[in-house]
Amino acid sequence: MEKTLYQIFKTFFKVGILLLGGGYVILPLLQAELVEKRNWIDDNELCEYYALGQSVPGIIATNTAIFVGYKLKKTAGAIAATIGITLPAFISIIIIAKVIQEIIQLEFVQSIFWGVGIGVLILIFLAIKEMWKKSIVDKFTCAIFFLVFTLSACFKAPPAALIILSIFIGIWIEYQKKIEHGENEE
Amino acid sequence: MIYFKLFLEFFHIGLFSFGGGYATLPFLYHIADVQKWYTTKELTDMIAVSSITPGPVGVNVATFAGFKTAGILGSLIATTSVILPSFIIVIIISKILEQFKHNKYVRSVIYTLKPAGCGLLAAVGVDMFINNINIPGMILLAGLFFASLTEKRDPLFYLAVSALVGLIAGFFNLTG
Repeated sequence: MEKTLYQIFKTFFKVGILLLGGGYVILPLLQAELVEKRNWIDDNELCEYYALGQSVPGIIATNTAIFVGYKLKKTAGAIAATIGITLPAFISIIIIAKVIQEIIQLEFVQSIFWGVGIGVLILIFLAIKEMWKKSIVDKFTCAIFFLVFTLSACFKAPPAALIILSIFIGIWIEYQKKIEHGENEE
Repeated sequence: MIYFKLFLEFFHIGLFSFGGGYATLPFLYHIADVQKWYTTKELTDMIAVSSITPGPVGVNVATFAGFKTAGILGSLIATTSVILPSFIIVIIISKILEQFKHNKYVRSVIYTLKPAGCGLLAAVGVDMFINNINIPGMILLAGLFFASLTEKRDPLFYLAVSALVGLIAGFFNLTG
């Protein structure tokens, strides 16, 4: 299928509509749309963009969309893909936000929200489990996890400060390695 | 002025949240604490709505929080500014993809950022757990937990079951 900006927008708009309950289902959706139906990229490329999407800050689903959009049609493609994947979320919240403020006062709606709140807890737990599998690979990463967790949960440290702290730790580790490596060579 | 503040706060979320849509939650809770644009209870409801509406949760919840703070214009600003940092970063990385993938410092930083993002989300999870749970909630949560152990299920399964259980529990005044 032709890679026009409109087609790119439409494809990601469709994926945006089908995305429910967290960005973690985006991979199979993109596989069906981009690889199987449209042949725009292959499986390996998609997996690479998905992995890269997790390696940069922001929302994984949009990050992956931006990577694929850029690959297809440079910056214009990236913009088309971003608007496409964001628009369904934006429209549905705008529609719902107005209504919800009225109906949330109703008792049975409150009960449903109470339940969904618990459901969200399990989704967050599953997200943590998934992230844990991918990120805690040794004692050191485990230590970072507990350091950040403790500072955030017990001391209410600003999240951005903790992220900056771990960026510095990452740079420092590599710097140390370089020094050691350099000494070994001499 | 609220619009400019909104832009700054959400740009900062987009720039520092690491590990997917739910990774924006620690920042949104922090905003509730500091800026008081919405309460943590309202945020919990927003997250619930965001999970059952189409689109990435991170986008939904940003749109919602923006709306709550400053109406439709607020949601437009919040959504745009939460995506803007990753947009700029991804475009730059796409241009230097090969160097980026093989740079040792990049790898090392990603290696330390992943557990940090995970730790932040875990702190939010614990916080939400402590603030929202009662005995019936604990039972529902335990049930969902065991359901998650037996097989990998669609997120909608958990939300549908918990909405239904919530509705039933409401009839018996168990939701507290």
